[in-house]
Amino acid sequence: MFLIFIIISIIISLSIYLIKNNFYTIIVRNLFLLLLFSIIGYAYLHFEETNSWYFKFDSLGILLSFILGILSIATFYHSVLYLKRHKCSARHKAGYYSSLIMLITAMLSAYFSENIAVLWVSIETTTLFVSILIFHERTKEALEAAWKYLFVSSVGVALAFIGILFLCITASSNGITDLSLNHLLSITQSMNPLCLKLAFLLVLTGFSAKMGLFPLHTVAIDAHTVAPPPISAFISTTLMNVGFLGIFRIFTIIAKTDALHWAQNVLLIAGVISVFLSAIQLLKIKHYKRMFAFSSLEHMGIVAIGLGIGGIGYYAAILHLVFHSFAKAGLFYQIGQVYQFFKSYWIKDAAGYFKKAPIGGLSIILGMVTILAIPPSGLFVSEFLIFKAMFIHKYYYIAIFVLILLTIIIYSFSKNIFHLLYGKTNNVVQQESIKINPYEPISQFILFGLVIYLGINPPVFFTDLINAAIAILN
Amino acid sequence: MTYLFIILYTITLIYFALSERVKKFVWLLSIQGFILFGIAFFSLHKIKIFDFIFILAETILVKSLIVPWFLNKVRKHNHLKRVQETSVPVSYSLIIVVMILLFSFLFNNFLNSNYIHTKYFTVSFASILFGIYFIIIHKNIFSHVVGYLIIENGTFLLSLAVGSVMPMMVNLAILLDILMGVLVLGVFINRIGDAFESTKIDKLSKLKD
Repeated sequence: MFLIFIIISIIISLSIYLIKNNFYTIIVRNLFLLLLFSIIGYAYLHFEETNSWYFKFDSLGILLSFILGILSIATFYHSVLYLKRHKCSARHKAGYYSSLIMLITAMLSAYFSENIAVLWVSIETTTLFVSILIFHERTKEALEAAWKYLFVSSVGVALAFIGILFLCITASSNGITDLSLNHLLSITQSMNPLCLKLAFLLVLTGFSAKMGLFPLHTVAIDAHTVAPPPISAFISTTLMNVGFLGIFRIFTIIAKTDALHWAQNVLLIAGVISVFLSAIQLLKIKHYKRMFAFSSLEHMGIVAIGLGIGGIGYYAAILHLVFHSFAKAGLFYQIGQVYQFFKSYWIKDAAGYFKKAPIGGLSIILGMVTILAIPPSGLFVSEFLIFKAMFIHKYYYIAIFVLILLTIIIYSFSKNIFHLLYGKTNNVVQQESIKINPYEPISQFILFGLVIYLGINPPVFFTDLINAAIAILN
Repeated sequence: MTYLFIILYTITLIYFALSERVKKFVWLLSIQGFILFGIAFFSLHKIKIFDFIFILAETILVKSLIVPWFLNKVRKHNHLKRVQETSVPVSYSLIIVVMILLFSFLFNNFLNSNYIHTKYFTVSFASILFGIYFIIIHKNIFSHVVGYLIIENGTFLLSLAVGSVMPMMVNLAILLDILMGVLVLGVFINRIGDAFESTKIDKLSKLKD
């Protein structure tokens, strides 16, 4: 079934690219969304079942696919607004939607991959299509960011492949020749610890470009800065979740061995450095989209710390990943509207937004509260749980250090947001060139509302999915 | 016979360190493709016939012909003849290649696994390390893609070293992904060459904090 979905998606994407007709694109684009929700629904109904040889509808895959489904609707909606404002030709639009559909398909394929090699192929495919989308505006900056993203991610993903081959070495010594996750999990006790450690280190380094985590986080930052806002929202959320999933799959293997403590320390180091770099960079930030990008680095750092601590930290890490996806996507969508008023993403050029667009301003305030993990944001719950885990496991110094860093981040982030809302600028944009859709912030309010609602009153199926995802680690 | 090809592959790495002409890089990549074909031909004949044919076709068509042909087109489009932008002198690079080979050999001995074909492992690991080194010392984005392809060739050898034979579908997907990646990288090099009037990496510095 899943293979059929992939084939139909490829056909839809190709047909949009070749036909280049606006009406056809609208029809087929909506058809794809319908197809996407059908396959996600099918996956939920066939929980824990293997499908099309290399795919399995496991709990984490289903959870992340729900996020992808919700954000796909919002991204398609904001893409329509974005393309209309930029007066893109039918050819450009076709290229955009064609790549977007392939990107969503590749991400979904990564979420449901049961075979590590198929997961690798899916992640590499996302790199290709996202780099095309980053280059959409055809500016020099877009070209630079697309090149850096494509090249560094490709080298990173090649490193991850070497890690997978080290996994092969230790798996083949135990009679496992395919790279099925189930088979690998069945032989963890007899795996060579050195090969496992090397595999984990290489996979973490390689997929850190995707997850936006230290050490290869820089390419994701540049990509956020120049990509169209709806695509930035995707890179910062669902695509980062793909990187997380790649690392998490190998982590589940190592978690059943004696090398677990070592892997957790590696994650802790990567996480703390990520939060540290984010705090330092946010102090001197000059660009709103870059600010959101460094905020993503901070949140991915917190997720890595959650995994690194273990215990309740596992649950909190996945909870944090879900909440961050909704909150950050909402902020990126909203910044697309902010751009309409100031024609710039530079902090010095954009100020006094609340007066110009009170509803949009309200959305930004709500976005700030949710992303900075201020109650009633759901991110407060996940961060609280991660700090609780740190204190339970006696990581006092790390907890205090991270708390100081988070204070710096809250100060820097809120200072710039208040400047955006109530500050003053000399940048004057002609009223006629401002094109605003009054319903634009609705999707943002829904997303921020979801973060608050899921934090206060999480539905049973939601917590069950997270518990099932981490059951393998405990 | 396999040993001969492995030695030839090692020589190509040394030639990469000695070369300064971009045209030679492309030739060396093509030669590496032929050598990989030879290695696959003499060492993989025990696998399933379709997998065997696929891997042979991959090495001879993609690695030795299509990718070098495409890179040559990109090279001509950007008028790249001689690259004198390595940050390390050639003589130093030569020493570093030897050190990389020595390190790979020692690492192979350190791993000491019965499930690794040691004859491939040393050179494959050296190729991966050298590819990374090649990217670091060159300041031209074209050379960076060459470095990436050296890493890819090393990865191919590493997969032989660990005896991993993936299913045909997965193999095909991996190959298509890498091929598409190289094609898109090539297109971007052309775009960068046209927009920035240079393919030097220091021109790509607009995105800063």
